[in-house]
Amino acid sequence: MRNSAIVMVSLAGLVAVTAAAIRHPAASRGSGGIPAPELTNTSWLNADRPLRLAELRGRVVLLNFWVFTCGNCTRTVPSLVSYDRMYRERGLTIIGIHTPEFPPYAGEHDKGNLARALTREGIAYPNAQDNDRRTWDAYGIRYWPSFVLIDKRGVIRYTGYGEFHLDDEDFRTWHQRIRQLLAE
Amino acid sequence: MTRIALLLAVLGAACGRRPPIVTLEAGPPLRLVAATGVRINARLKPALELDDGTVVRFDSPLLTPDSAYFAAAPTAALPVSGSGHGTLRLSVCPSGEKICRLVVMAVAW
Repeated sequence: MRNSAIVMVSLAGLVAVTAAAIRHPAASRGSGGIPAPELTNTSWLNADRPLRLAELRGRVVLLNFWVFTCGNCTRTVPSLVSYDRMYRERGLTIIGIHTPEFPPYAGEHDKGNLARALTREGIAYPNAQDNDRRTWDAYGIRYWPSFVLIDKRGVIRYTGYGEFHLDDEDFRTWHQRIRQLLAE
Repeated sequence: MTRIALLLAVLGAACGRRPPIVTLEAGPPLRLVAATGVRINARLKPALELDDGTVVRFDSPLLTPDSAYFAAAPTAALPVSGSGHGTLRLSVCPSGEKICRLVVMAVAW
């Protein structure tokens, strides 16, 4: 058997992510914050037209950066579906920002594949295809899944990342944050 | 099998202070071995993109019960022998971090 020798030549391009100000779920930005970058994605599912944050003033918006090939992301979906059911009518808009990890050959860019994933996961809230990572980059995201909670004025109030589950500590933390911003 | 431990020193490894979390073993077939506590995403199979455009995918029939991660080191066979180079891409999900990270690096053989 012939052995092939693989030689690492570069660590360039080690990780296709950018520097970020995002924080762990337990951290918060409190009452301060910066204006949330506008969404400019053009391809959407569960929405009859592209959503823009400017049109959502007066509502609390939770952005979920995810991809259907990420187990940490899909295991968090039940919590997001729960928030959606509890608070959509009370002023919360959850938006999935579906950002592929791999190039198109992996199938993550395909709208049909995403549509099937939304059905499989029971996701009824809007999702943007962020195939060119424009929103991922605009928010300085680094990990799947990540979250950005935006208040009624369009200001980023809380950010975080990492899988969580129904009624665990992080679930309750995000729940409290949503309720706080809805009450403002 | 000759083990040429070459290492995908992932995130933070650029500073040389973190141990490699994934090791690429020469074969054939090529084999990706994750460090303890590091899971390789099986829903997004690791890929070696050759300079001629060919994409070689790593795979293993052994998965975790939720089919999210490889339970055994995934392997891949190169289509041709000889030297070459390409880009290795994989999604790793360290169990303590509850996130997935993308790793992209150049390799040559």
